[in-house]
Amino acid sequence: MPVELRLPVVLQRARWKVKIQEKEVVEPPHVSILRRTAKWRINLRTREFMDSRPDPAEVPEGLLEFIADHWNWLCEQWDEKYPDNPVADVEG
Amino acid sequence: MAITQAVSNTILLDRRAARVKRFANLRPKNVTSVSRIPESIALAEKNTLWISYEQSLTNGLLKALDWPPRQLGRIVLVHRLLPEGIPVLRNCFYRVAYRFDGAFLPPEELSEVLAADNGEDLILGGTIDKTSRTITLWKGNLDSVTVPFAAFRPSGDGIRPDFSSFAVTDYGQTLVLGEYQAATDAVLYELDPRYRRRIAKRRRATEKTFGASLRRLRKQRGLQREDFPPLSPKTLARIEQGKVEPERLRRRTLDAICNALCVSVEEIGAY
Repeated sequence: MPVELRLPVVLQRARWKVKIQEKEVVEPPHVSILRRTAKWRINLRTREFMDSRPDPAEVPEGLLEFIADHWNWLCEQWDEKYPDNPVADVEG
Repeated sequence: MAITQAVSNTILLDRRAARVKRFANLRPKNVTSVSRIPESIALAEKNTLWISYEQSLTNGLLKALDWPPRQLGRIVLVHRLLPEGIPVLRNCFYRVAYRFDGAFLPPEELSEVLAADNGEDLILGGTIDKTSRTITLWKGNLDSVTVPFAAFRPSGDGIRPDFSSFAVTDYGQTLVLGEYQAATDAVLYELDPRYRRRIAKRRRATEKTFGASLRRLRKQRGLQREDFPPLSPKTLARIEQGKVEPERLRRRTLDAICNALCVSVEEIGAY
């Protein structure tokens, strides 16, 4: 199944989505935050935003907290999808 | 957030009022009958964006075209198209996005991507060709990129792409192939050199090392660090992590890297 974190209704209504997509073989393990035409990526190893644009400050605190609450699940999902590039592999 | 870019004018060929409302952000001139098409052609400029949802209205456009043709802008044909119309349309439109067997974004997402300032990084839709085993994707600026089925490798969790179930979602950020949902940026990074150059330029500010480029390219090729004989995995790791300056690499080391990746040294930096 596609990996999508089920968000609280208020975030869904604001059109936020959190996914681990296919074909992400080039970059370090990460989770994608999508809202309309914008995308933010958070590194699952460092917990940092991977890009300076769009501005990470546009992602609401509530969403970041929800992601933090489900961090282990997201890491597990990444590892299952990309076993050759697991979160725990610091050299990946 | 998405900022709208200048669309000099938009002409929407569609009879469904509810759908037309979805394109309000583009402020289109709505054409609902064939008889109104000649006046739209007269108004069209070289940057006009045309969108057609109905084959009958597209046929009306084809019949009303002037000869010799003049530039009428760009056109998105959301309905299924018969292939014989394409050469004629290409005489008048500098970009033509269409589908034989494929899909486009739903109207509200299509309108937003067409107006987005990052439209060239998003996908409007695509057409599947089972004979050549490719998908031709249309970007938000109506440029195209053709992707072989082979580029959609199965994921580690066993999910495989289903090419009979193609769709685009998330405002052009996700390509859906059944349960397989590929990231648009990953697809473009692999197969669109212009996108790759743009992203590489953006990344240079934060991750501009030879090692970082080498690592990305190795991952894209699906290679392990063991795949660079006679170099040891440890040596390759040191190069990727920037512990060895590229200027200090020996010729035979660079040759081993380039041979395994089938690229020149100069090309590695573009990844």
